[in-house]
Amino acid sequence: MTKTSTSVLERARAALSRRSGILLIAALLLLWEASARSGLIVSENWPPVSIILLALIREILSGELIEVIGPTLYRFVLGYVIGISAGAIVGFTFARVPLVRRMFEPVIELLRPIPAPALIPPLVLFLGVDDLMKVTIIAVTAFFPVAINTMQGASGVEPTYLAVARTFRTRATRILMRIVVPSTLPYVLAGMRISLALALVVTVVSEMIAGSSGVGYYLVLMQYAVRSAEMYAAIFVLAALGALLNAGFVAVERRLIFWYAPQA
Amino acid sequence: MPRWLGQLAPGALVIALALWGIEQAVHHGLVKRSLLPAPSDIGLVLWDLLADGQVTGPLSETLARLAIGFAIGATLGIALGLAMGYWPRLYRLFEPLIELLRPIPKAALVPALVLFLGVDNAMKITSIALAVFFPVVINTVQGARGVDPVLINTARTLGVGPFSLLRKVILPASAPFIFAGMRLSIALGLILAVISEMIAGTGGIGFLIIDMQRAFRVRQMYAWIVILAVVGYLLNFLLLLAEQRMLFWYRTTQRT
Repeated sequence: MTKTSTSVLERARAALSRRSGILLIAALLLLWEASARSGLIVSENWPPVSIILLALIREILSGELIEVIGPTLYRFVLGYVIGISAGAIVGFTFARVPLVRRMFEPVIELLRPIPAPALIPPLVLFLGVDDLMKVTIIAVTAFFPVAINTMQGASGVEPTYLAVARTFRTRATRILMRIVVPSTLPYVLAGMRISLALALVVTVVSEMIAGSSGVGYYLVLMQYAVRSAEMYAAIFVLAALGALLNAGFVAVERRLIFWYAPQA
Repeated sequence: MPRWLGQLAPGALVIALALWGIEQAVHHGLVKRSLLPAPSDIGLVLWDLLADGQVTGPLSETLARLAIGFAIGATLGIALGLAMGYWPRLYRLFEPLIELLRPIPKAALVPALVLFLGVDNAMKITSIALAVFFPVVINTVQGARGVDPVLINTARTLGVGPFSLLRKVILPASAPFIFAGMRLSIALGLILAVISEMIAGTGGIGFLIIDMQRAFRVRQMYAWIVILAVVGYLLNFLLLLAEQRMLFWYRTTQRT
């Protein structure tokens, strides 16, 4: 073997190794397609990927996708914003006012371990099956991680900084904006990220259990109707939605706390 | 007044007041009994469930699924995570796939899993295992990749082979991350256990909660929610306890 051919081979191997992850995904998708097409797995539950993608494109073009995803996004955003705002305010108050914390922390600790979906049935009794119930349960889900993290962050402000600020007679608002908020923000954002994923799960679940619109409802509807291509298309959409939300969040987080490097 | 009493009293007072307030509101007709029964009524139902042992059937059903699903998901997650952390090739191979599958809300997979596995234990355990797997694998990879290279090189110099290196050096060094992942996972696993029982259930606590709601047996519904809360609390507590036992060295080394 000549020298050049080895180096070409090596380079090819290195390139292959770098892209092995993408290749694995491509191979799995091909296997999926082939297994469904060749009749290896004959089942209505196992449509080829190409059919699913076609269904997805059809939904996008017909505008059905926007109709399905619109209510989901609306509920999610509304519930999430309410939940994290309330969580940040409560967490911050707890950290700053010890008496309030001693009074209300046990209540929160009692309610926190209840898995959010278990609260959907009682909320249905109170609020019906419409948006109000869904937004509420999403907000409740988003609330807890942010409240707990904010409390931790705001009580962990380095006392030395506060003492130095006081020595220089820094104004309270300035202490708040320059010391307390910056050292709490990374914790608040960490809580918000946990909430993001949980809130999306609960959005879908609430639409599945008590729905008349949204991706979760569509998913169950397609399952019952044995239109599995559309069902998988909806799952793809949810995956993309989750990935986009997370990527957007990470981008915002980097900008907001560009100076913060978590310990390895 | 002892110090701990001063710490606990305000919280206990607020809870007692809240329960009393709800009780009074129900008795005076401010809240419909069909929406929210008096806490004392829920307590009585709860007592009945506990006293005549009705609680054990559904509770053990849900817990058994959660335990099996969690064991499968966590074991696979730790194994793959360690391997990916140790062999960069495996990391490059699997990382994109995991990143692709991770953002899917696992609850959305329940309808798809129903098609393949039916509505029985196989489907429920699979969805729990899936929900548990991802946080564990991601945290384990993070932990295993962050192990101090000096530790690894020292072990290699002393002639430790790759498998005992993984078991004796990398696994313990990543344990704090693994535990963090597992605590996220146990909460998610319980959520999935409840959801799968609600969507396609014939038994278990999740099924009972939604079944009682549909039958307008509201007191029973609340009683089961209380039981579920206790389960969630105890599971988290047990994991914390295990973490403290197994990671007694972690806090002290962190400080130095």
